[in-house]
Order: sequence, then C-alpha cells, then structure tokens
Amino acid sequence: MSRIIPTVLGSYPRPPWFREYLRKVEGLQKEGGRAMDEATYAKAVGEVIREQRDAGIKLFTDGQLLWHDLLCHLATKIDGFEMNGLIRYFDNNLYYRIPKIKAKLERRRSIVVDEFRVAYSIEHEMKTVLSCFTLASLSEDEFYHDKSELVMDIAHIMNQEAKELVRNGAKYIQIDEPSLLYAEKEDMNVMKDAIEVIRRGVDAKFFLVTYFRDAERIFPEVLDFNVDVIGLDFVEGYEKNFELLREYDMDKEVQAGVVDGRTTKMEDKEQVKQKIRAIHDAVNGETLYVSPNTGLEFLPYIKASEKLKVLCNSVGDIQ
Amino acid sequence: MNNRKLLPTTVVGSYPKPNWLRRLIREYEKGEISNKIMRRAYDDAVKAVVKEQELAGVDILWDGEMRRDEMTSYFARRIEGFTIYGEVRVWGNNYYPKPAIIDELRYRDELAVSDYKFLRRITDHEIKIPITGPYTLVDWSFNEYYRTREEAVYALAEVINQELRRLAEAGASYIQIDDPAIPTHPEEIEVAKNSIEIVTREVNAYIGIHICYGDYSKIYPEILEFNVDQIDLEFANRNFKDIGIFKDYEFTKDLGFGCVDVHTRRIESVEEIKDNIRKAFSIVKPERVYVDPDCGLKLLSSEVAFKKLRNMCQAAREIREELEG
Repeated sequence: MSRIIPTVLGSYPRPPWFREYLRKVEGLQKEGGRAMDEATYAKAVGEVIREQRDAGIKLFTDGQLLWHDLLCHLATKIDGFEMNGLIRYFDNNLYYRIPKIKAKLERRRSIVVDEFRVAYSIEHEMKTVLSCFTLASLSEDEFYHDKSELVMDIAHIMNQEAKELVRNGAKYIQIDEPSLLYAEKEDMNVMKDAIEVIRRGVDAKFFLVTYFRDAERIFPEVLDFNVDVIGLDFVEGYEKNFELLREYDMDKEVQAGVVDGRTTKMEDKEQVKQKIRAIHDAVNGETLYVSPNTGLEFLPYIKASEKLKVLCNSVGDIQ
Repeated sequence: MNNRKLLPTTVVGSYPKPNWLRRLIREYEKGEISNKIMRRAYDDAVKAVVKEQELAGVDILWDGEMRRDEMTSYFARRIEGFTIYGEVRVWGNNYYPKPAIIDELRYRDELAVSDYKFLRRITDHEIKIPITGPYTLVDWSFNEYYRTREEAVYALAEVINQELRRLAEAGASYIQIDDPAIPTHPEEIEVAKNSIEIVTREVNAYIGIHICYGDYSKIYPEILEFNVDQIDLEFANRNFKDIGIFKDYEFTKDLGFGCVDVHTRRIESVEEIKDNIRKAFSIVKPERVYVDPDCGLKLLSSEVAFKKLRNMCQAAREIREELEG
C-alpha cells in the first residue's frame, strides 16, 4: 500500500511569546545557565505541534524550539566543544557560533532526550533531529586532526543518544547532513561507517536528510548507507535530484522537500501536486515523505503554517 | 570632496540611544505616549547625540539614527510594496522584522529628507546621510512579487534614487549607501554595481558606500568600478588583516577607514588609533582617507561610544598636524 506522508524537516519558528521569553531568560549573547521552565517550554511545543497537526502533517517534530542553530545545541551538550565567533550558515542570512573542538568528545549527559520526552507526551509520531558529519565539518578541530576519527567519535555519541531516545519511545531518527552535499568521496566512506555506528542496537527508522542544494555529490554512494529514508531538496536541486531518482534504482524511501521553506511566497498548489506526482512515480510508488525543503525557522511564525497547508493540501488532493 | 581638511573624521551612522529615549519608545509602542511628544523626544535625542559628536570632535556627522529602529524594516515600512509579517532569526535569540515584497515597489514616504533638514538646523558641521542600499534591502527581504532578485533590486534602486535626488535638492552634499550584503553574494556583484548606478543617477552629491562584515577579497577590485566617490570599510574588527587585499590593485576611490572596533568595549588609546590610521596610508595617500569607526556605534554604551570617538578624533588631529608640519 503506497502512501504519501506529509512531514516537516525540523525547525519551526518559535511562537512570538516564546521567542520573547527566551530572549529574557537567556539574553541576547552567549547562553549562560538556562533557567528554562519546563511547563513554559511544553506550552510552546504544544503550540507548534498543534500548528503542524492543523495543517495536516502526519509525522511531526518538536520544532527544535530551543535550538539556536543545528550545531551549538548539540555541541554545547557534548564535552570537548567550546563555542566561538559567529559565521554565516550556508547561503542564509543566518549566523551560527562556530564550535571549536578542544578535547576528545564525550557524551556525559543526554543531548535532546529531555526535549523529546516533552514532545512525545503530546504526540507519538515524532521525528528527532541529530547530526554527525555536518557537526564535524562546520566545527574547528583543534584536537583530532583526523576527520574520520572525529566523525566516528561523534557517531558513537549519537548512537548513545539514539539508544536513549528509543528507550523513551522514539521511532524515527533524522540525521541532518547539509554538509554532506559538499563532501569529498572519501568522506562518503567515513560517513557510511558512521551510520553503521549510529544505528548499532537502535530499533528505529532512520532518515538521512540533505538540503540547500542537489545531491549529485553523494550519489550513488549514499545508496549503500544503512538508512531507511533519504531526504532530498526538490526546491534548490529539483532537476538534478529528479535525474538522480530516475537514474538510480532506489531501494530506500525518499523524503522530498517540495515547497520552499525559505520564502514567504506560497507555491501554486497545482505545481506542487505535479511535482509530488512526478517524484512518486520516480520512486515507483513507494512510500514517499514530502516536506518543505528546509526547516521553517527562516519564516515568520504566521507564515510557517500557511506553507505547511500548501504542502498538505497538495498531498490531500493526490490521495 | 573639495577643499576639505586632511583626514576628516566621521561616523558610520548609528549612536547609542539615550536610556530615557529607549524607555519612551517602549511606552510609545504601548500607546502610552502621543505622536507629538514622541516626535519631540526624538528631536531632543538628536540634539543630545549631535552635541556629543561635536564634543568628541567629529567633523562630518549624522543624527545617530535616533529615529531608526533597524536598517532594513525602517525603510521597508516607508516604501510601497513591502509588508512585514513578523520576525525571523539572525542568530541565537536575535531576530529582525524581515520585510516581504508583495507588490510593485514604489516611492511613498520620504526616508531621510526631514531628518536631514532638522539636523541642518541644529549643527554647522558637515552632514553625512546613511541609507541602506537596494541590494541589501532586497537580500534581507522575502521576494514574493518580482520574478527575479535582480528585478527587485533594480525596482528598489529607482525608489532610493528618488530619495537621493530629493536629499540633494534639499542641500545634502554627502550620502552614504550601506550595503553590507554585497560581499555575501560575490556572484551577483554586477547586479549590485548596476543598482548603485541607478541609485546615484543624477544625484549631485558626494557618494560613499559602506560595507562591513564581509570577505573583501571576494569583491576587490570589482568594487572600484562602482559609481561612488568613497568606499568605507571596517578594518579594526579583523585586526587590520584585510589591508593586504587592497594592495594588489591601485585603490582609485577615497577610503573610509574603519580604525576603531565597535564590537569591543575596550577604548583604544590615541596612540593605538594613530598607528591604526597610518596603516591606511599603505592603501591610499592621506589626502584620500576619511577616518571613522568600523561601523555604527549603537551596540555600545553612550560613555564608551563617546570615548572611542574622542580618542579617534584626537588621533586624526595629531596625525594631521604631523603631516601638515
């Protein structure tokens, strides 16, 4: 039975009141001790899950509401990282603090488990976002001086995290890897092994998700990765990714980013429908996840749900 | 500019808002203060920061951007075709109201003419008017209306051009286009260049372009082709490492030389700033150098901003005297 499942990529804009709240408790500069009130956080997560549900999303995220960017939220909870100055995040008017690696990386406490528990208590169909290669690539390494060693250590940490997530109910784990689209071929071998490490003993469905450009550089190697779903950007990389789908025999499911998560311009529903149909055909009618091509944090709050409705309404018409 | 003194000192634009003004703005936003009182408060704040700049010894000054909240949405709110849906993140907990272009961009409200006229009445100093450039305004906005970014940039350039003409007609002699987004898309430098061409068309004034925060190697020497008289850059922020970039090709414009770091509270000494200013002379001769801080001062406290400016002006004065013997 083939299905088209609308989902989100990861981030959702913070509800305005929660944004103001975080500004007050955390300040504008570097994070100090976070005096986060769990009930307040739960209320915010509840709101963004409701926004997703009302739009028609079937596989959710917690919106990564406490994340300032893909890197620092992970890095600040892993021993061995220090946070440094700001740098531009890919081709976005968005900046992140560069994590610097000063010692062997170790997980002494959970990273996103507490957040997952809050979201899972509201909605069980919950995807959790982690990252490995991108965290390694965008950090400044002053300790390992060997990329594969660094990637493997992060993979071990993510494996421990994934295990704890599954013990708490997680069924879907998404590894976000935009940097993989800039990888060299030898990096692909490292990442293939890293995925094996991350998955070891973890009973969950694994998504490996890419965005911001086409995935030409990772094909066909990525097809040998031990993941269940591959996420591709069909906004920035539409034509090339479409070619790749047709050229290679996919034995994995696809998560297709079909609406632009970085513009308030709303896509024409008919065009989105056509796009989804074409991709569905290209994956031979296998289960297809559809989503915005990026997280939605690039949009003002009120536009995020509108974008999801365009996505979900297009799917609804097909099925 | 003609007949000016050696090493004129200036500011990039913003100055810290007095605490009392911040409080009034908050009350105004809650509807507790009338437009009239708020307008008077802004006027008073401008008088105060102009006086501070004069006391610090600044030659060419601006009103400290007391009336502007931010460099993108302030202009977008005054131009037909923009709307603002809400805030988006720049980093961490820092957000800005990101405008969206939803219709044809057209001139509606003036952007700086009355600010200029007010300032003209309260100071005898030369005035520089900073306005965000069309390339940067488009880059920092959503585009729902135009087919391409390029079209949006050119349409907005026409709007800004109208404002610049009005400013020049009102007597403005020195206008600065703030365009920090240019180095983030070096592949679009032709679009940026064309936009400046449109913006400055038939504008009878001295034109500077201010670019901070970028990788200058990506836009040099191409930036020399822009239709501006001066290029104003930050140097202190990256500890003057960027100077080498400008030595491979002859720098054919005046140079606005950011010689004081606005991202640290440390107050550079006069001697240190003098050393900094002299570094500019390895790019252009002293006759082409304008002395200013790296960027706007609004993130500093008033006290620190004043001391930085005062030392900067003292440093420029001492070098000027040495050079003129």
